[in-house]
Amino acid sequence: MSEILISIKDIKKTYKSMGEEVDALKNITLDIMKGESVSVMGHSGSGKSTLLSIMGALNPPTSGVIEIDGIDIYKLSQEMRADFRREYLGFVFQQFQLIPYLTAHENVMLPLTTTKRTNKEKRDMAEEVLIRVGLKDKMNRLPNQLSGGEQERVAIARAIVNSPPLILADEPTGSLDTKTGDEIMELFQELNQEGLTVLMVTHNPDNTKYLGRTIMMKDGRLSDYQEELIRKSININ
Amino acid sequence: MSIFRIALNNLMRRKIKMLFLMLGLIVGVATVISFVNILKAMESELGDKIDEFGPNSIILPRSEGMDINNNNTMNTDITFDIQKLTMEDIPKISASSVSQYINIISPKLVGAVETEQRKTIIVGIDTKKEFTQKPWLTLKQQDTTKEIQELSFLDLPNKSVILGSSAAKALNVKVGELILLDEKEFKVFGILNEVGSEDDGLIYGNLNEVQTLLNKPNELSMIEVSAYCNNCPIEEIVVGLEESLPNSSVTALKEAALFREETIGQFSKFGFALSAMVLLIAAMVVLKTMLSSISERTREIGIFRAIGFRRAHIMKIIFIEVGLIGIISGILGFLIGSLAATYGGPYLAQIQNDIPIDIQLLLPAVLLSVGLAIIVSAYPAIKAAQLDPAEALRYV
Ligand SMILES: Nc1ncnc2c1ncn2[C@@H]1O[C@H](COP(=O)(O)OP(=O)(O)O)[C@@H](O)[C@H]1O
Ligand SMILES: [Mg+2]
Repeated sequence: MSEILISIKDIKKTYKSMGEEVDALKNITLDIMKGESVSVMGHSGSGKSTLLSIMGALNPPTSGVIEIDGIDIYKLSQEMRADFRREYLGFVFQQFQLIPYLTAHENVMLPLTTTKRTNKEKRDMAEEVLIRVGLKDKMNRLPNQLSGGEQERVAIARAIVNSPPLILADEPTGSLDTKTGDEIMELFQELNQEGLTVLMVTHNPDNTKYLGRTIMMKDGRLSDYQEELIRKSININ
Repeated sequence: MSIFRIALNNLMRRKIKMLFLMLGLIVGVATVISFVNILKAMESELGDKIDEFGPNSIILPRSEGMDINNNNTMNTDITFDIQKLTMEDIPKISASSVSQYINIISPKLVGAVETEQRKTIIVGIDTKKEFTQKPWLTLKQQDTTKEIQELSFLDLPNKSVILGSSAAKALNVKVGELILLDEKEFKVFGILNEVGSEDDGLIYGNLNEVQTLLNKPNELSMIEVSAYCNNCPIEEIVVGLEESLPNSSVTALKEAALFREETIGQFSKFGFALSAMVLLIAAMVVLKTMLSSISERTREIGIFRAIGFRRAHIMKIIFIEVGLIGIISGILGFLIGSLAATYGGPYLAQIQNDIPIDIQLLLPAVLLSVGLAIIVSAYPAIKAAQLDPAEALRYV
């Protein structure tokens, strides 16, 4: 837990939409260590998804530098950044975001599509992770033939099939019932114990117990989680 | 799992939309193909007709000294010097180096005869050959009670003549009546329909009888020759004929060929305009469908990009999709266009010949369809590739 995986220095993000400027992130500085598991919490609109998409090499910050594994990702060209996402990152989105016309197996193979591997290797790798998430017998089903929890498992399998060092998840349990959500969280916990770095945006405070550090966001800034808890308890009392 | 597979699966999923897209391309390709087929049939049929459209070249006796003494006072001398064209020259044409092109050889003798105190021009012909070569000459009235004969099959009985319409009017004779030509009796076998040219004023008789009548046995004034095919090298034929008939001059008649080219030229202009219009509409259907398909797939493209697809990969997926659609549409368009030409063309363009399915047009049809689909899809594809993945995934 001593090596830095993600280094964020003084990041700002300003959106311009319809003549209005929105400061979604204001001077964020943050390090995330290799093998850490981090939950990001905060009110809707506080900038959690923006931070995640910047870490996901999908959304260039207005200013500041972000390095992942020592790579200044926004210095890369568009196409190189796509390659970077393929090799370094696994995304798990809210509502799973599976491709509806591909089977579970094919969805999991997607990140391998653009790699130089034989078809057999791709099939085997995808099957292996589907076994890992407990879906071997349902891998030839289309997404709409799977339950919410099963679709989430497919999404996780797709995120880890290429063995990336980092998983980014945006409210992955948001649309699941509590029991299924807990199972998914256990899966994330296991993956983290196997060495993956996990960063998860979540609304559910219960989820934080499966993860290590919690980062609290408010109006585009980081706030101290403990302070926040104390403030909450004072308010309750 | 390959990019190809993704494209294929997506096509299968959006069958209705893709059928609509294909329909546009199919109509475009089918229009072009049927037009090309009909045009080709017209061209070959017009060619056939031109063989019947009269002679391609005329052989006349060569007049020596014509070039040297080109003035009126010398006319009698020139006539004197003319080398005669005779019946013996006819087999020379069949034996010439260009005989394979020769279809109809129509020899004739032209001269003046006196009838009812005036001079009229009489032409001695081989009726079958002359009237085959000039199908616009048709009988209006005929001597016998039988139905009017096809002139190209006619054996004109001896001591009979056929009159042009204005000749009949001037001489005031009717079919079946007798007329005197240089004091010899001939029966009017038939009168021709008016064609509005000098032919209307002529009297036609059998060649050997006219030769006797004019006292020019064996002699010919000219031989009109028509070539077999529509694309015959007329110039080459002229040279070949002159070589085998050194005592004659050969003139090529090009009107028929020019007329044919003009007709076909007009039809191809029309067809080109129509095809361009239909293809433009097809292009707009492809553009519209692809653009709406891209916007429907915004999130999907966002997912692809997020999990590491390059912009180039996105474009590849779209191009494979439209390429496949282009291939299928090209084949179907070819089939429909060919069948439309085969079954509809004869009515549409009043063509008697069969219009065969030309398999050689399949590849051009597919290339046209694929080319059009890909060119038009370039803009939607670039648009898709430029989609901001963060933005695409934002509205979940
Ligand atoms: N693409 C965008 N264009 C304009 N405004 C945006 C865009 N994305 C996010 N925002 C704004 O930035 C702020 C942070 O949004 P977001 O990162 O989605 O917050 P969270 O995920 O915590 O709800 C919000 O005010 C949101 O409206
Ligand atoms: Mg969010």
